[in-house]
Amino acid sequence: MMKLRLKALAATAMVPLLAGAVAAQDYGNFDGYTLRVKLIGGAQYEPLYATISDWEAATGATVEILSRKNHFELDREIKQDIAAGTLDWCVGSNHTSFAPQYGNIYVDLREHISEDVLSEFVQRVLDHSTVDGRLVQLPRHSDVSNFYYQKSLFEDPENQAAFEAEYGYPLAPPETWEQVADMAKFFADPPNFFGFQYVGKDEAVTGRFYEMLVAEGGQLFTEDWEPAFNSEAGVRALQFFVDLYEAGAVPVGVPNYLWDDTGLGFGSGTVAMNLDWAGWSAYFNDPANSQVAGDVGLIRAPMGSAGVRTGWSGSHSFSITETCDNKEAAASFVTFLTDHDRQMIEARTGLLPSRSEVWETAKAEFAEGGNDFLVEVFDTYAASMAEDAFTPPLIPEWIEVSNVLWPRLQAAIVGDQTAQEALDQAADEARIVMEDAGYL
Amino acid sequence: MTRALKKRLKATALWLTTFVLMIVMCVPGLWVVLSAFRPNREILAKPPVWVPQDLTLRNFTKIFGIGEETVAIPVLSYFWNSLVIATTSTVIALIIGMAGGYAFARFRFRFKNAWFLGLMLFRTVPGIALSLPVFMLWSRLGIIDTQMGLIIVYVSLNVPFTVWLIDGFFRQIPMSLSEAAQVDGCTRWQAFWKIEFPLAKSGIAAAGVFAFLTSWNEFALASQLTRSTDSKTLPVGLMDFTSQFTIDWAGMCAMAVIIIVPALILTFLVQKHLIAGLTFGGVKG
Amino acid sequence: MTRFFRTRQAALTPLLLLSPAILTMLFVVAIPLVFSFYTSLTPYRLTRPETIETFIGFRNYVRLWEDAAFWAAFWRTILFLVIALNVEFLLGLGIALLINKITWGQRTLRTIMMFPMMFSPILVGFQFKFIFNDNIGIVNNALQSMGIIDFAIPWLVDARLAMFSIIFAEVWMSTSVFAILLLAGLFAMPRDPLEAAKVDGCNAWQTFRHITLPFIMPFAFIAMTIRSLDVARAYDIVQVMTDGGPAGRTELLWTLIARVGYENARMGQANAMAYVSTILSIAFTYFFFTKLVAARRYMGGAE
Repeated sequence: MMKLRLKALAATAMVPLLAGAVAAQDYGNFDGYTLRVKLIGGAQYEPLYATISDWEAATGATVEILSRKNHFELDREIKQDIAAGTLDWCVGSNHTSFAPQYGNIYVDLREHISEDVLSEFVQRVLDHSTVDGRLVQLPRHSDVSNFYYQKSLFEDPENQAAFEAEYGYPLAPPETWEQVADMAKFFADPPNFFGFQYVGKDEAVTGRFYEMLVAEGGQLFTEDWEPAFNSEAGVRALQFFVDLYEAGAVPVGVPNYLWDDTGLGFGSGTVAMNLDWAGWSAYFNDPANSQVAGDVGLIRAPMGSAGVRTGWSGSHSFSITETCDNKEAAASFVTFLTDHDRQMIEARTGLLPSRSEVWETAKAEFAEGGNDFLVEVFDTYAASMAEDAFTPPLIPEWIEVSNVLWPRLQAAIVGDQTAQEALDQAADEARIVMEDAGYL
Repeated sequence: MTRALKKRLKATALWLTTFVLMIVMCVPGLWVVLSAFRPNREILAKPPVWVPQDLTLRNFTKIFGIGEETVAIPVLSYFWNSLVIATTSTVIALIIGMAGGYAFARFRFRFKNAWFLGLMLFRTVPGIALSLPVFMLWSRLGIIDTQMGLIIVYVSLNVPFTVWLIDGFFRQIPMSLSEAAQVDGCTRWQAFWKIEFPLAKSGIAAAGVFAFLTSWNEFALASQLTRSTDSKTLPVGLMDFTSQFTIDWAGMCAMAVIIIVPALILTFLVQKHLIAGLTFGGVKG
Repeated sequence: MTRFFRTRQAALTPLLLLSPAILTMLFVVAIPLVFSFYTSLTPYRLTRPETIETFIGFRNYVRLWEDAAFWAAFWRTILFLVIALNVEFLLGLGIALLINKITWGQRTLRTIMMFPMMFSPILVGFQFKFIFNDNIGIVNNALQSMGIIDFAIPWLVDARLAMFSIIFAEVWMSTSVFAILLLAGLFAMPRDPLEAAKVDGCNAWQTFRHITLPFIMPFAFIAMTIRSLDVARAYDIVQVMTDGGPAGRTELLWTLIARVGYENARMGQANAMAYVSTILSIAFTYFFFTKLVAARRYMGGAE
């Protein structure tokens, strides 16, 4: 306790110091220049943009925000820009899953941002931001999923006794996905209450399947880019989702769920356990929005049978276009948006920083403010970002492969096909995609 | 019971039935309106909270940035864009529609039916098929993310229907009226404005309402052709309440109310013209 | 000479008056259509602009011919259109007949009737996605708390129910258009034939069947034509509610095209699909239009 207190004090003492350092940091002088940017919009991301005026004041440049949209729309817009040759802007929001599609429209940031600055970022996150050996994006914040649960359910002695009697081991926050399946079935009382839930469409379900595949020891492609997800491990991974669905342990609507549904569902207090992103943590514990506020437990994502934890991860990031007419200004801008103080703004809302130091500063600040829950969130997520996080294959065809895969995953979940049939068919279709793209 | 009373009762019963039926039909929409005044916690609760416990204007104050919680949505620019784009495109579509409708109603020319059908069929091309080519053309012309860019698109969406409706309406007006005016020394132009236009007003108003509602609510093309507060319209602004992982449903409902109310007021104001306008437009080939 | 000039002028005036309409359509629709037809003959990928120069003839179309998923979506789209348009017509007719009888407060009722028309399709999508949510949606919650069901109905998942749900949303949004146009038809109806029928001893059904219905059919076909013109607006609804899923059970041409074109960035192939779907819409519109012309003839209206 004493130690924590001291650390917190030290950290708060550090904040003004650092702030001073930031102000002193030279962002350059771009008097009269107008920097054109495209940023991801949405309530979660906006607070950062309020500080853009500070950068404008420091450098004399003006920032013109050409668009603010969510990522799927921004993706469409950037593709249109590539097609129409209208890449007349400098900085764009980017994301690990989308970045590989854009080819060479973005510069290698190692040529424009000093090694000193880059070394302050979490190495693994920088690796994930690298496509074909080029650092095409500067990570803004990272994301990975961890395991939320309703604490009171696990602490209830009646539940504990009943669970142990039925499954032969004590009820505790699960370490493996096999245990999750048991507990999900145990807690489920459809249609009023569910043990677990998962997203069931679009890239979301592909990602969830993919991380389960890895946790089961499988892989998406062989070394030679031959689709390999219809392996035994793949069938096991998919069967996990199918079994839960058939047992009624998840809501019957999951094949149509996206992130908002799972988040809102857990917030509504009708789901015992939920694998979800850090961005939801603050929401889950906010009494104004969530019925489970104060009762939210959090542990690292469980392991599959291969002893690997699930850890599908991605980062929100900024990229600079090759066509940018003032790459120096653009580099200054993205450095500013990802600097220590800026990341603190986002960390306070529960988003995961990409700079190593911000993790510590943020945790210290939460501890100081008595926000034990966010401290726990950061501790848990720090561990999984450091040890478990992995990305999908960083190839341009990821989204396209995902689009042949997810309808088949759904087909297995709703019982149109067996897991093996579904994966075999998806593998055939994915092979065509890879052939068309010249991998095979 | 007198016969008159019986009749009266019957009428009241009919009125009540219809009214209740209408309300039932509106329930899914009313639910959105009600949700705009409730916190997320209550709307998405299970077991459901049927009787609102916590009616609040917070969703609105958040949107407008009043108070400490804001969602920083530039709703005023969206509103302004929507208003300018919907109004301008409606007015232009009506002018073009009047010219075209007059031509079809008052002149004989070759391939008349083919022209007419062709105009209609162009409208059937799904927006999704047009979005990329229009985008590329617009970007060459430099009108991406401008009000002008959307106005042009909406004019073309609305022209076929306005031409059709107004054509039908002009046909209702006997040629003899304007001919008489011309005999009295009016030019054809004057005759049009003094005689035919006032008579066709209802039809034009009806076409105008449809055109306005189409432009006011259009999403698919607007989401492709707009990018910033320079031109983003209200329906596109709805997407500001979604981000990759979250959705603020209560906020979205509040925004929906902001979109619906002006359209509803306009519709109510032109009700009289609307029915009259539709009655004669279109049907009389 | 003068006479020749005059007739030339007379022939030119209508074309001159029409020219703004024609030019707008050419500019916004025809030119883009030519472009998209060209790209449908290439392996054009959005993210690789140079692919637009490779000409592959009708290969995209040949691929479509063999593409089972595409044809499933094609027939499903037709099913969607046929059911939605017919249900909208019947409901709209019912509403119009009721409101037509009302004398007091009709203006307010008509505005209420048009209430769903104020909703942007994208909003309708979100709205029904929440309403039909299996867990926290109000439909299941209402049914459960009334004790009608004790399980959750998978509105957006089950093969039939998912189609039902998206059609329901589309019908909710568009029935008003039918109702208002049919109401206009009822208003325009002359009183004499109705009186005559009464005198002849026709009952209510016979009057409706043989007098009212034929009279308002042209209005119905106008509504159908108008609706088939912009029925692709339903794309927004379906995209938000199910995005064609689960397992392709609600995949319509529009969701398929958008996914192939933008997410997969295969614009060439998507445009080939778009062309086929355009032909489908043209067929629907043309069908209703000829029906409309026939109905007008039946009425003996001015041709």
